[in-house]
Parts: sequence; structure tokens; C-alpha cells
Amino acid sequence: MKTRRAVVAACLLVTSLLLAACGGGSGDSGGPVTLTFQSLSDQPAAIAQTQKIVGDWNKAHPDVQVKIVPAGWDGVYDKLVTQFNAGSAPDIVHYEAAGIAPFATDGYLADLTPYLSPEKRADIPKGVLDSVTVDGKVIAYPTELQSYVVFANKTQLQQAGVAIPAGATMTWDQLRQIAKATTKDGKYGLGWGLSSPTAAFVALAPGFGGKYFQGTGDNATLSVGPGEMGLPQLVDAMAHQDNSILPVTLTQSGTKALAPFYAGQTAMTVQGSYQAVNIEKDAPKGFDWIVLPPLAGPAGPDQAANPQTLSVNKDSGHVKEAAQFVDFFTSTENLAAMNEADALIPPTTSARQALTTKLGSKNGWGTILASGQYLTSAPYLFAGKYAQWKDTVATPAYQRFLARQVDANGLKSQLEDGWKSVTK
Amino acid sequence: MRLLTRPAQYAALVLYLLFLGFPLLWLISASVKSSGELNSLSASILPHEWHWENYAEALTKQGLLHSAWNSLIVALASTALSVLIAVPAAYVLARLRGRVRVAGVGWILVSQVFPVVLIILPLFLILRALGLADNLAGLTLVHTTYMLPFALWMLQGYVAAIPVELEEAGAMDGANRLTVLRTIVFPLLAPGVVATAMFSFVSSWNEFFFALVLLQSPENYTLPITLNMFVGGEGKVALGPLAAGAVLAAVPSIVFFSILRRKLTSGLMAGAVKG
Repeated sequence: MKTRRAVVAACLLVTSLLLAACGGGSGDSGGPVTLTFQSLSDQPAAIAQTQKIVGDWNKAHPDVQVKIVPAGWDGVYDKLVTQFNAGSAPDIVHYEAAGIAPFATDGYLADLTPYLSPEKRADIPKGVLDSVTVDGKVIAYPTELQSYVVFANKTQLQQAGVAIPAGATMTWDQLRQIAKATTKDGKYGLGWGLSSPTAAFVALAPGFGGKYFQGTGDNATLSVGPGEMGLPQLVDAMAHQDNSILPVTLTQSGTKALAPFYAGQTAMTVQGSYQAVNIEKDAPKGFDWIVLPPLAGPAGPDQAANPQTLSVNKDSGHVKEAAQFVDFFTSTENLAAMNEADALIPPTTSARQALTTKLGSKNGWGTILASGQYLTSAPYLFAGKYAQWKDTVATPAYQRFLARQVDANGLKSQLEDGWKSVTK
Repeated sequence: MRLLTRPAQYAALVLYLLFLGFPLLWLISASVKSSGELNSLSASILPHEWHWENYAEALTKQGLLHSAWNSLIVALASTALSVLIAVPAAYVLARLRGRVRVAGVGWILVSQVFPVVLIILPLFLILRALGLADNLAGLTLVHTTYMLPFALWMLQGYVAAIPVELEEAGAMDGANRLTVLRTIVFPLLAPGVVATAMFSFVSSWNEFFFALVLLQSPENYTLPITLNMFVGGEGKVALGPLAAGAVLAAVPSIVFFSILRRKLTSGLMAGAVKG
């Protein structure tokens, strides 16, 4: 009897669900245009700011309404692949330069060049604009950036008698010297979460003259020379010759490497600039921390920019309206507010200045925002199989190198041979 | 000779339970810790201070409860469908001989070798053509299709374990096939059905990739998709709220298991066949 009831209940449940599927559906019906905006904002403040910007737009444009579709960063590439291939992609796509470039190459994104005003073009540093330019077309507007900076425990540096760098930039050699000087009494000079080292090494390579890639898309070639090997070899020297890097951090994520920094086990840590907010929130009371000047290598302080972006789906029925919304979203005021909410660096000079004026040097903002001027495009953004190479070849190869399982020559050949096998 | 004394057996059991329960314990602990404590070197199970705001944030962010409701509907419906289809099909697979069975077993094995990324695009296009993309019914069908081969495989093993002599004995007493199935096979198969239902429910409840790609509207998001939003760009993770959300996400599974646990009895066949 009970079994029969359960079966009947199950049948009813399934039937009702299938019937429910017959309802629903949405679409434009001659009213105002509705644009879908797939947003990846994840911080509560950034979500609220995104909603505010969209609300402001919707209020000012009753004929063009924008609807936010929240999505998560994890797995968004697969989602976009399916959406674009199936013709169901949103009108406005939030992503990042490195991830969106392949979709532009495949012809899924609208050319935003005609909608980019001369003023805005001039407001975006050339290197950042290059990072969102594919085949001469602007395929996205940059919205947020991060740089790699050094956070330091001021007290520990002072106790070690170290002169705290105060220039516009700081050399890697200076960092190495400070790390050596602060490595004593069981404490280490530096903690650097390098469990996934490729992103950091590739992003910081321009400072050493490293480019990694030449060409774009499927024609990109990889060559690993002194410029590309400069930073990995420096880290190796600091870790195994100077013994100034806390060894465990080399196997940890960036966030995990913050814990020994808070505990005074490391005097400095290399992190994404956005960690300033987390340090302010999570560090113990009285923890006196500073952001050291941007790092400069032999070739200067440049870092590769991989901005978050807003693009427009080429198949959208309302490309012009979508582009206008993107332009609105990236106004100076909106970019400053978004980046403050997300603790990131605005990609336009005017928004960076606005944020600098507003925040001053609070929580290292001054130095972090200043580091934004050194962000530039990098060839890896446009190398077709970069993501696959990064995950399957480069990261394991760098890990083996940092663990001293292979030497510099072994690393070089693993990286280059791996690229050849990935692009076969 | 007994190798283990009773206290040693209990000690082994406690150790095993600790081994199994530790990740859950750690998850609960993380869900009530402050961000500062989660990002410190402190590794105590008990938090220094209890912070319940992680739960508040988990519940208020992105409509977690609504997503949980969606997950529950999809999981229950796909479990019911899987079991309803798998029970008769498994009986046929286990009892029949010949080409149909070979083809059936072949299909089950082959269906398991396709990576989901290979089928997701055509699947999406088919569902869209049927008007089932971006809704829970479509996801239910996908989950059912995806779970069915394994459910069949599981159940046909249970059917095969039921001695055919019992059915023959029933037939000898004058029962027709349906009566034999209803009065002899199904009662003995109940534990297998329950185990299969549990597996199906948990698989659907935790499924991420299909839901990620097939569901486009926030109002249709299932729990794993919403939990995924606690993981941000640039490596940011809201660990406390994520842990709280994960704890809440585990509750329905635990309830479902506790309801069905009593049904998972075996030994019904003990003594059924006298040698």
C-alpha cells in the first residue's frame, strides 16, 4: 500500500514538473528593448554597485532596459562556449581579456571600435587598450585591473634595520636584499603563494623583457629566453640560495600565503593588489602593514594587464544599445565606484585619478593605483592555446623547477616542447 | 579465534567514523569562523569566536534558499524517473538472455565513456528545440538520462542476486509473472531500489556542469550554481559564507538518507532457498 502511494506520488511529481515546463518563456514583444547582461561580480559591494549602475541606466533609458543575469567565474568559459555556439549568449558579456580573446577570434563579439569615443580612447592607456584589441578591432571595454604588489610588515622591516623603499618603483634586487635582511630568527623575508606560478611569472615577465609568445591565435609561437627565465631563476635563487622564501608558501595559493604573513613568519608577501582589502579585514589588530613601490625588473616596471572586460555579443539584435550601455558602465564615475567596491585598479586614467583623490594613501591604495600605470598588453593574451598550455604544461613544469626536480635548461625545454605538443 | 576484542572493535569503529566525519566537522567549524580566523595559522576545530553572520550572508546572497528548492525539485523528480525506468529495465537485463541483453549492457557501458563536454552542446541544442532549455524540466530529463545507465547497472546486480528459484516456486504455486514480480521480486528488490534512489538523489543534488551550462536564468539556478558564486574572480573566495552554504546544502541529503536508511535492510532472503 505504501509502495503504491509512493509510486503514485512520484508519477504526480514528474508529471507536474513536465507540465510546468510547458509554461514560461520570455522575449521582446514590441515594448522596450531588454538587454541581458551576464555579470560575474561576486563581492557584495561590487554586486550592489553593479545593480546601482544598471538601475541608473534603466531609469535614464526607459526604452532600453538592462537585466542582470548573475553568473559565477568558475566554469564560465564552458558556459560561454555553449552559449555562443548555441546562439543563446547574453547581449553583454562580462569576462577577462585572456578569456574573451578566443571568442573574438571566432567572430562572436561585436567590433566596438565605432562606439569608442576619442576621449575614452585617450583615457585608456595604450597597453590596456591593446589587451582588448583583436585584429585591430576593440572587442571589449576594460573595466578592472589587478597588479602584483609587495605587502610588507613595516615593524619587521624596521626591526631588521631595513630602509623602506620610497621611490616610484623598487627593483627586484632591492626586494631580494630586503628579504635576505629580514630572514632571521626562524622567520623568512618573503612568502609567495606559487602553487599556480604561471599567471604570476607570465604577468611579471615584461619587467625582465620576457614576452613568451609571438604571433596570435593558432599561429602563436613560444620561445623561452633570458627574459622569460629571469623571474623563475630569481625565485629559485631566493628560495634555495638565500633561503629567504618560506618554503611552504611555494606550494600554496596566494591567499594561503597571507596566514604566515599575519603571524609574522614572513616579513613580506607578493600578492594580487586586491588583497589589500583582505589584509585590512583579516590582519590581527595593530598589524602595521604597507604596500611597497611597484616592482621593476631590468626592463622596467611593466606588468601584463589582463583586465576584466565587457563585450557585446555580435548576434545581439541590439548591438548599438548594448555598446551604449557598456560605454555608460565604463564612465569615470562608475569605474571608480566599481573598482573601489572590488578593490581593483580602474583601467582609465581619469577613474584612477578620481579614486586616488578619493582614497589617498589609505590601505596602500595610493601605491596600488600608481602601479596601474605600468600595466600593459602582453602577447599571451592572444595565444590561442595559452590556457591549455598554462594548465597542462607550464604550471607542472614550473612546480618541478621550484622543487629543484629540473634545472633551468630542463624547464626551458619542457615549456617549449609542451607548447609544440599542445599546438600540434 | 577472534582477532579483535570488543573494545578494539569499538576503537576501530570510532577512528573510522572520525576519519569519515572529519571533513564535515571541519566544514561546520569553518562556517562559524570569522574571516580573520579562517585566514590565520590557527588550526583549531573549535572557533575562538562563533560568527553566525556567514549563515546570514549565505542565506541572503543570490537566493540560496530558492536555489535549494530548485535543486530539491530536480533531484526528487530525476530520482523518481530514474527508479521508475530502471526497475523494470534492470529486471529485463538481469533475467533475459540474448541479443537484447547484450545490446543493453553494451549501451550502458558505452554511454559511460562520453565526456560531458562532448555532449553538452548538442544536448543544449536539442533541449532548446524542445523548449526545454533553461528550465528545471529539461535539467531533470538530462539528469535522468545521465544517471540511468549507472542506476540500471546497480539494480540489475540486485535483481541478479535474487534467486530465480524463488520466482519459479511462485510460478509453481500458480502465480502469474506480474504476481511473482509484485509479491516476490519487488519486496526483495526494495533495498536495491533504495540504494539506487539514494545514489540518484545525491548525484542530481550535487550535479554542477549540466546545470551551469543549461540554466541561463537566475530564477532557475540550482544550489551548486549558487554556491559557485561564492568563488570569485582573481582567486577570491568567500570561504566563511561558502562553508555555511555547503553545510546548508548537505542538510537535505542527510534528511533524505535518514528517511530511507531504515529501508536499507538486507537479509530478507536469508533461508529463502533451502539447499
